[in-house]
Amino acid sequence: MFLLDFRCYSRFSTSIVFGCALVFLTGLLGCSGEKIEYQANFLHAASVMSDSDEPEIRSTARQASQATTELLGPIDAPEWPADIESVVDMDKVRRSAGPVGRDKSKVENGLFRKHCVQCHGLSGDGFGPASALLAPYPRDFRRGSFKFKSTPIGRKPTHADIVKTLENGLPGTAMPAFRTLNESEEFAKDVDALAHYVRFMAIRGELERRVLVALANGDSQQGHPDLLSRVANDWREADSYAIAVPEWKTLSETELQGSIARGKELFQSELTACAKCHGGNADGKGISQDYDDWTKDWTIRAGLDPANKAEWKAMKKYGALKPVLDPARNLHLGVFRGGATRQEIYTRLVVGIEGSPMPAVARKQNDNPGLTEENILDLVEYVLSVSSLPVSGPAPTREVKDERSL
Amino acid sequence: MSEACEPRSHLVYGWAWLVACLTFPLIWLGGLVTTHDAGMAVPDWPGTFGYNLFLYPISTWVFGPFDLFVEHGHRLLASLVGLLAIFLCWFAYKYEQRRWARMVCYAFLGAIISQGLLGGARVLLDARTAAMIHGCTGPLVFTLGCFVVMACSKDWYEARPVPISKGLRRVAVALFLFSIVQLFLGAQLRHSQPTWIPSFFMSIVHTHLTMAMIILGLILWVFAIVRRNPNRQVVELRAPSSMLVAIVIAQVALGFATWVANYATPWMELTPWLARYTVQGKGFWESMIVTGHQATGSLLIVCSLWLTCRISIRGRVIEDKLVERKAIEDGEQIVSTTQPSLMVVGENG
Repeated sequence: MFLLDFRCYSRFSTSIVFGCALVFLTGLLGCSGEKIEYQANFLHAASVMSDSDEPEIRSTARQASQATTELLGPIDAPEWPADIESVVDMDKVRRSAGPVGRDKSKVENGLFRKHCVQCHGLSGDGFGPASALLAPYPRDFRRGSFKFKSTPIGRKPTHADIVKTLENGLPGTAMPAFRTLNESEEFAKDVDALAHYVRFMAIRGELERRVLVALANGDSQQGHPDLLSRVANDWREADSYAIAVPEWKTLSETELQGSIARGKELFQSELTACAKCHGGNADGKGISQDYDDWTKDWTIRAGLDPANKAEWKAMKKYGALKPVLDPARNLHLGVFRGGATRQEIYTRLVVGIEGSPMPAVARKQNDNPGLTEENILDLVEYVLSVSSLPVSGPAPTREVKDERSL
Repeated sequence: MSEACEPRSHLVYGWAWLVACLTFPLIWLGGLVTTHDAGMAVPDWPGTFGYNLFLYPISTWVFGPFDLFVEHGHRLLASLVGLLAIFLCWFAYKYEQRRWARMVCYAFLGAIISQGLLGGARVLLDARTAAMIHGCTGPLVFTLGCFVVMACSKDWYEARPVPISKGLRRVAVALFLFSIVQLFLGAQLRHSQPTWIPSFFMSIVHTHLTMAMIILGLILWVFAIVRRNPNRQVVELRAPSSMLVAIVIAQVALGFATWVANYATPWMELTPWLARYTVQGKGFWESMIVTGHQATGSLLIVCSLWLTCRISIRGRVIEDKLVERKAIEDGEQIVSTTQPSLMVVGENG
């Protein structure tokens, strides 16, 4: 009859006070154990060293991570070698890295851990705490591949591409739009700083992968600065590969209907093969059963079948998440993650979506079959016509000023 | 039970109400601090950027960055609640004649002070673990404040026993304990460490969802038992059980909305709206939904405690159904409902 005896509540309340004190002490003791450091790329090591045993795989991955850290600094204090021209603004990188909080001058630091780490993970590996529950999985920056950009497949995204994804988010995914940050003077520079840090993490991750492959092949540990120079150079050239989007003419209703009809014909033709994945009705019910490159990286390229659990399960201990198919979009939903304006859909068609099964359209060159500029514009009109979205005008452009003219 | 015959203090009761009512916005502000990851928006403690806490320029506070606004506001409101709790203890010392009730008031003050120290440790150590513990104990301090209100209420003082089945009592206690466990699980998710592996986070999410289903089932069970009884022998439990149903429905809806606001849905092509929905990073409504889920969880604990207390102070366990039926037939189960409920914290939040 504990609860019936009113006097027992004095003991009850005393217990609460003791409980609070215990929790307080536990907190104080437990707080000192939070060790934050880059996670070595065990998964890539396992995929390139498939014949090695687990201790060797882990040891090589740690060596690669250590060698990369020696060049680019620890996670809380990133740095750039003085003898290599930087492609990121290190002041902004340092501001985005490290723990969350304001310093004495009220400048906010730790932007990545505040906004991104929950999904993308401390190392930008896409293995944040929440990652396993998300669809699609958060992006692993370490391959240096980004889906929505204005440069061709195989080229790095421009700084403006990353800023755009950060500002607009990706509809239907867990990637938020940080446009609200830019609306505040206080946070106006945060998105730009985060974009620099994303580039830094991508460079670091790619360097680590290359060092890892070099170590796995028994190469000398010398020459890592050269590897960094090569990776950095790819990023430096990104702007020069950005495609030009044509001016959009205002079409009359008759012209528009004609364009849509031609676009539909192209969509269903063998030339574009759009219907193969998206379905003849553009409802996403094609025959495509493919995975994205981030999954293929540690499955198919390592000789594992992602559809066979008995095979890929062995990679779980290295951090692998369950492989999931990368389905073609149902265009009737009107969801265009890379943007829903004509210009943005044109860009998607011309450069494709890197890392996904969505290829770039084949362009007509000389006698080679492919699409002309007019064909692509017709396809854009058809895609917009089947979506339930109101047809939108040109994308609002916002010049991203990079003070270092990278 | 002799202490129950002693007069209670109206002043203590009213003051406890005031403190409890101010503690709830404190929970909200604390939740906003977590939502905006603003725990380190002010890097020093107990001062604010070198100023005395109470002398920090109001213009910089109100018109400055939002994270600084909520963190400093949280500290100011916590100071006010602490100050009012000191007065509560003084009034209890002077006017409350039940020793155990005075002890509960002192415990409440002790819990507030401990909570403040824990908040300070979170800042000085820059430790997310301390933040998580602070986030767990905050709603418990609020619950203790509401318990002070219940203990000083007329409802408690004039309680008369009514027959109640043993199962109902057990379920009420289980509901209260499960709500606290659920709070701890939620706090883990809110303060997840960046070093956690995905499977650990996922297991906590699944446990949180399972516990939510158990709590929902228990509340619906209690509600059905209380509502379906034709003899109204548990009429005093109608208010807390109805309130629990309302809160748990809101909480389940807020929980789903919280996930969508944070991570969208894994079934993005379920509807065009979900497919097109873009999570707004640190958006106003997103913040309110996430924080509201946490705050409503606190109300769930308080309301389940309210139910537990009512069962405890009124319930006379009927061991056998035949005895229960006889007791009902004898008419001793009918309890006057003219007394106003004085545990309105649970009703109004």
